[in-house]
Amino acid sequence: MNAVEMHGISKEFPGVKALDNVDFSINKGEIHALLGENGAGKSTLMKVLYGMHQPNMGTISIKGKDVRINSPIEAIKLGIGMVHQHFMLVPVLTIAENIVAGAEPKNGLFFDLHKAISEVDKLAKDVGFTIDPRKKVEELSVGERQRIEILKALYRGVEILILDEPTAVLTPLEVKELFTTLRQLKQKGMSIILITHKLHEIMEVSDKVTVLRDGKTIGTVLPKDTSANELANMMVGREVKMGVKCRSTNVGDKLFEVQNLCLKNGDRFCLKDINLYLRKGEILGIAGVEGNGQTELIEVLTGLRKPDKMCLKIGEHEISNNAGADEFIKSGIGHIPEDRGERGLVLDMSIKNNCILGYHRINRFIKKGIFLNNVIGKYARHLIKTFKIKAVNEEIHVGTLSGGNQQKVIIGRIFAQNPEVVIAAQPTRGVDVGAIEYIHHKMIEFRDEGKAILLISADLDEIKSLSDRIVILYKGCVVAQGVTDDFTDTDLGILMTGGKISNEER
Amino acid sequence: MGSLLDKIDIILISTIRMSVPITLAAVAGVFSARAGIMALGLEGMMLAGAFCAALGSYIAGNVLIGLLAGIIGGVIISLFHGILTIRYKVDHVISGIGLNLLASGITTVLLQTIWGNRGNSPEVNSISPIHIPILGEISPLVCVMILVVILSWIVIFKTTFGLRLRMVGEHPKAASTVGINVNRVKYISVIITGILAGLSGAYLSIDHVNLFVREMTAGRGYIAVVVNILGRYNPVGALGGGLLFGFADSIQLVLSGDNIPGQLIQMIPYIVTLLVLMFAVRYIRPPAGLGKNVED
Amino acid sequence: MKSNVKILDKLYAAKGISNTIVLFLSLILALIVGGVFFLANGYSPIDAYAAIFIGAFGSFPAFIMTLTQATPLIFSGLAFAVAIRGGMLNVGTEGQLFIGAFAAAIVGAYIKGCPAYIHIPLVLLAAAIAGGLWAALVGFLKVRFGSNEVITTIMLNFVAINLTGYLVNYPLKNPEGMMAQTKPIFDSAKLPRFFSQYQLSAAILLAALTIAVIAFIFYKTPLGYEIEVTGKNKRAAETAGIKIDRVVIITMFISGAIAGLGGAGQVMGINHSFIDGFSPGYGFEGVAVSALVANNPVLTFFSGILFGAIKAGAITVNRIAHIPMDFVFVIQALVVIFVASPKLVGSILNIFKKKGDK
Repeated sequence: MNAVEMHGISKEFPGVKALDNVDFSINKGEIHALLGENGAGKSTLMKVLYGMHQPNMGTISIKGKDVRINSPIEAIKLGIGMVHQHFMLVPVLTIAENIVAGAEPKNGLFFDLHKAISEVDKLAKDVGFTIDPRKKVEELSVGERQRIEILKALYRGVEILILDEPTAVLTPLEVKELFTTLRQLKQKGMSIILITHKLHEIMEVSDKVTVLRDGKTIGTVLPKDTSANELANMMVGREVKMGVKCRSTNVGDKLFEVQNLCLKNGDRFCLKDINLYLRKGEILGIAGVEGNGQTELIEVLTGLRKPDKMCLKIGEHEISNNAGADEFIKSGIGHIPEDRGERGLVLDMSIKNNCILGYHRINRFIKKGIFLNNVIGKYARHLIKTFKIKAVNEEIHVGTLSGGNQQKVIIGRIFAQNPEVVIAAQPTRGVDVGAIEYIHHKMIEFRDEGKAILLISADLDEIKSLSDRIVILYKGCVVAQGVTDDFTDTDLGILMTGGKISNEER
Repeated sequence: MGSLLDKIDIILISTIRMSVPITLAAVAGVFSARAGIMALGLEGMMLAGAFCAALGSYIAGNVLIGLLAGIIGGVIISLFHGILTIRYKVDHVISGIGLNLLASGITTVLLQTIWGNRGNSPEVNSISPIHIPILGEISPLVCVMILVVILSWIVIFKTTFGLRLRMVGEHPKAASTVGINVNRVKYISVIITGILAGLSGAYLSIDHVNLFVREMTAGRGYIAVVVNILGRYNPVGALGGGLLFGFADSIQLVLSGDNIPGQLIQMIPYIVTLLVLMFAVRYIRPPAGLGKNVED
Repeated sequence: MKSNVKILDKLYAAKGISNTIVLFLSLILALIVGGVFFLANGYSPIDAYAAIFIGAFGSFPAFIMTLTQATPLIFSGLAFAVAIRGGMLNVGTEGQLFIGAFAAAIVGAYIKGCPAYIHIPLVLLAAAIAGGLWAALVGFLKVRFGSNEVITTIMLNFVAINLTGYLVNYPLKNPEGMMAQTKPIFDSAKLPRFFSQYQLSAAILLAALTIAVIAFIFYKTPLGYEIEVTGKNKRAAETAGIKIDRVVIITMFISGAIAGLGGAGQVMGINHSFIDGFSPGYGFEGVAVSALVANNPVLTFFSGILFGAIKAGAITVNRIAHIPMDFVFVIQALVVIFVASPKLVGSILNIFKKKGDK
């Protein structure tokens, strides 16, 4: 008898069939990985199991009993817990409050905070976490927050735990710790479902893998009977080359140089004494755990935030510290923002109008202060064609495009303006494999034209495969920099978490 | 000298009196805000409360029934705001503005239908003051206000409902994933908001004076929104803010005897609000989910 | 992938159509609910609406009355729509209208001896600048202190109404008369009227012209583009090098200037002086005017005429049948609410559909 059995699950959203006759099952005391690309239906399937979506068809049984799960409340009652990719925690509340909310210990009419604290304390000790339940969640690191999420599920006595992309935001060390915890929970008889698209994690920790593609089950295999490459092929549906390295062969003079960059937030340094440079024809990767100053670095280097101290040169031209984003753009610094929906695009505006965003005051598009509508339209159609943006025409809203195509609009808009340097932040986040390959290809092409790219990415694999050199950022400081291929994974992991390795400067 | 002391006395008493409607409405706003709902419709709720209270007192000749009617009036508008924002995902600001316009239109029309007068209702029975040592004659609603502030603080910060309420306002999705019925919490808080705002309106029409006047809330609902923010979404803070505005209001009474044009004096509370918005509000962090609609 | 895009596009297109339907239905629903309210107050809604229609379009004078009533509504509707495009809810058109009207009255009554072709533009300019600055203050408070513009505009409404009230009651009161109003403006500052016996003035042409200018700025110039981008996504605007603080203040200035022109139109075309509390809420009514056409600046012209018609009709009804004309405000408020609630309108529609299916 399986702990969970999902059979023939189908789920349609307006215009999209997210799940098509999917089967999935997991045993007691098993770690089962759910593998698939973005949009393959992994999260949707698990949201169905967790009662957040109702399937259009199919049956679910828990421990052999057929059930209908209409809400997370019912899922929790059935012993199902979920750790979401975006943590479901309230930063301003304490750890204890976050964990017990919804199932609070009471003292008459009142909430019994003391009992909550002692219960959480005991629970944490049982699984070997050291936390202070009185602390507010906003003071915690990402890894700690994830533990709170796991505790939240355990507090409710769940036996089936779903983790949605749990390693996406963790450092290599934290990933190891997480896996230890998961194995420990498995020993206690829990069933753990791991949603992921990272192959080596599956090979390391899971007992079984189910692969989804385009909302369909492709198959369930045992990791010991397969290889990472085979899984990748199942996931994408064709041969893929993984982790291709493509180093620059033609590095030129210094093109972009940042000296003594300091940025304070109140009296705390967000960025301290940053020195880095980019040469013609190279990609410099910024490696680091999210929240170590990357966002601030991007904002300063694109004119969105004024540094307290900095000397910034592009070629021979020095950019003043008071310059606004418009002057950075004019100086030839292109910016692919971290979050395309938030900073990169105006989603409820046409592709055409998004194509000139940031370049809407250049002479090419304006005559006597009036927009040249025909020129802009032609330009947009040109970008759609050149950058293989899948769109019916240039008048539709950019928000109706897929993530990959939205990202191509940004990439096209910037590369077409022929900047000298591009600050590329998370250029392939939330984008399908085809678009990732295309975007990487475009970046390399741009680099080979003798331009430079500063690449900031949470995906260490992306940094390693694209960058010629790496800078490692930890707590707002550059802790190491050097040629990519001189760093091992272990080195990077240690440096990213504030450790030191011998022979640091290479 | 004697006249100065008299004036201080008048200011003190009228500060307390004028702080009642603002404080009650601001505490009303606290419940909505803590649940993530922007209570921009407070003005309309107060107006409906004021009108219904006067009507209730007029028909029944009984102030308690008037008070109850006022509460019902506030709850009706508040529930509309709740249904529009929670169920139909209407922008909180637009819904608030729309309901304020609606309350203003409806009360003015009904004023004419019922009493045949576009400006004000006839005089109705009003709440009689009670005698309290030291303070002297004072409205029982002043005591109610203090009680409301204390009880609200306990409910929000010391009960399980309060914890759930705060969670809903900060992160509704997090709340729903731990099995909290988000909409139920929101509707409860909306009803509490309506009750308190209705009470606040009733105070204006059957306690502060003894009749309903067209548009008699005169922006106090909006001031209460600011007081709510100024008080850091905390009932005790709302009382502090309420007293500040009560003071600004009471200055009017004192100055109006001194040949200063009424229009200039009437500008005081609004200018105080603007100053507060300029200098105090930006240091305050609102509940993270305030005013946002969650798509299901 | 390709099919996905197409489906989404079709959905989008379909949504575009249904938006128009929703707007239309919102108006109908507002009229129906307003009718129920008529009934509750003891008036026959059908008779009332018929009377309103005749009062608005039944005769030539009625139609002129409609246009006269529409003029200030078009201005304030346009003012609201302009601010919305820049992402601001300008609920302060009422105050801006007062300030603009006051400035117009002063320049119209105290600058003497210039010909109409100089005096009229001068008065309009003064009104636009005064209203614009009054609104720009809101923009400034928003960008500098993060103050919510809904609250600041409403507070400034009270300040504007009281401030002009003080000025017109004390220092600038017309000494020859009992009423709280300024000295009459000179003939050279008066807007010409179409017919000597009706109040309809060239202000309505000015409204149309203002709409044309706004449409040009919005759809043809980089400034209009920056306003749109800022209104739709501030962070993206900032990333694109747009100085959003400046854009917000400029947007508010334009919006307030239009509201100010609306006030000037009343002074120069109708009252010929600033009268204390002259506006019965023209500014607030702009919210409904703009809402009904989904804040499309060009269409505010027609929506303004529609609401002007309801008002003109209501005035007639009020005169003949003594039905309170404040019904108009109820209907306007209902329009705002229904237009803002497409999901509500949709579900009401579904109820009827289901009944129809049975």
